[in-house]
Amino acid sequence: MNNSTRPFADIYPEIGTGPVSTAPAVDPAFFEREREKIFRKMWVNMILREEDLPNPGDYFVRDIEVLDASVIVVRGDDGKLRALHNVCTHRGNRLVRDESGSCNGFQCDFHGWVFNNQGELAFVTDEQRFHHLDKPSLGLAKVHLDTWRGFIFVNFEETPSQSLEASMADFNQDLKPFPFENMVLAGRYRYETNANWKTTMNAFQESYHAAFVHKRSVRQCLEDDGDPYLASQRIKLQPNGNQSISVHLPPHDLTPTEMIAYGMGATFTQGGDGNVNSFPGTAQAQIENWAFDLNIMFPFSRINVGAGWYYVDAFWPVAHDRTVYELAFYFPMPTSAGAMISQEYSKIVLRDLSREDLFTNEVTHNALRSGAIKSIQLSDQEIAVRHQYEKVTEFCR
Amino acid sequence: MNNPLPEPFAHLTPYRSWALSTEDARMRRRISASMSEITDYYQTLLPEIDPIAKHLDKWPLAELPAEQKPLLYLAMMFMETAMCVEFFFDPDVPEALGAEHIELYAGRSEQLVNS
Repeated sequence: MNNSTRPFADIYPEIGTGPVSTAPAVDPAFFEREREKIFRKMWVNMILREEDLPNPGDYFVRDIEVLDASVIVVRGDDGKLRALHNVCTHRGNRLVRDESGSCNGFQCDFHGWVFNNQGELAFVTDEQRFHHLDKPSLGLAKVHLDTWRGFIFVNFEETPSQSLEASMADFNQDLKPFPFENMVLAGRYRYETNANWKTTMNAFQESYHAAFVHKRSVRQCLEDDGDPYLASQRIKLQPNGNQSISVHLPPHDLTPTEMIAYGMGATFTQGGDGNVNSFPGTAQAQIENWAFDLNIMFPFSRINVGAGWYYVDAFWPVAHDRTVYELAFYFPMPTSAGAMISQEYSKIVLRDLSREDLFTNEVTHNALRSGAIKSIQLSDQEIAVRHQYEKVTEFCR
Repeated sequence: MNNPLPEPFAHLTPYRSWALSTEDARMRRRISASMSEITDYYQTLLPEIDPIAKHLDKWPLAELPAEQKPLLYLAMMFMETAMCVEFFFDPDVPEALGAEHIELYAGRSEQLVNS
């Protein structure tokens, strides 16, 4: 029988209820194991959608620092998307230095070798002076690429140990119906923080912190005496480490600006009032005062879906004590100035809230590193944090 | 910068320097402003946002005439100041990761309007 104040421990008894060791967050040697056992094997969410590269030649470059890799995602003249190592096959120079663009091919700035937009070696300068160049085998090294509902993922394993679809697990039912294709990029943000990726991410895996961390920014949503800590009604944990957490916001008096923004479009703090099942691919129908779902793709990226908007984010590990948080916010393409003004409000709210979330990480990371405490205490509401440590530890064994 | 804003909003011309075309510029302007400047801006613009939106909605967003764009930028700058006045009582976010650690990139609508 479920305990009504601590329901989730009963649903997931294998995760336990005891203190959780801080070692995985502070031990540099643990980070090295994560790199080999988790990051090198995962499907990497590139925070990029197919429609961001609509035409042949469109490309995007992303450095994945934790794997010492730089990847070009490019749509070839044959219409296919490819992921290619950004490394010239002549002597290893970085091939593309721009972040994005459109071109027929890429020319290395070291000796001028040219690769077409399908990754094939197309031209070698002063070729007759080489001895035995096997040009067909000297195309750019390939990285596995697959897409899920338009999101571009890559995988660095020689042969991926599981398909992208398999790694999405329950999201193939729970999240897949969300109308991602109706929305476009409204804003993109990148934040740097000096903390472990898990310490950083843990601040985004429960609602318990809202009453303190967001005491100013969502004050209007914290005035329900019966629900002062916005206790989550739904937390779904998957065996492969994926998680889904539903966030609700009680009805509240609107500020003058919320009123203006609501009047002209969907907004971040609005919630999903309206017809049940208005937002397929969400837990709207299961949650009272549903606002949005946080959907975590193990280990560190998310596709978070709300009432007419979504955002994709990732807590990119850089070093054991360095993380880049990247966020891309999507809304329907505004056709009127009013819709654009309304969306700007949501962008600013989410941006300011993210900065509040990121405030505790650095000091927490330093405090954990001091060794003053060897374990952290987690409530039933923080079970997703517990689950993440359990899974990371399991996969690093 | 001193060109009058289009009618019926010419009376907002003194605020024209707030009409910045990117989210990045608006955020940086907000956090470098004083709270009294922000409060004055917020109080002046609050009753104008709905009329500005209604006025600008005469054109599809993609066809907004250049002389009208500053009005859109003023309205979006208003949204920056709203958080300061309604929640933070400060130009910046108190107890937050410093803005020097953040980079902002334009979304599609910003690219469309500014192209």
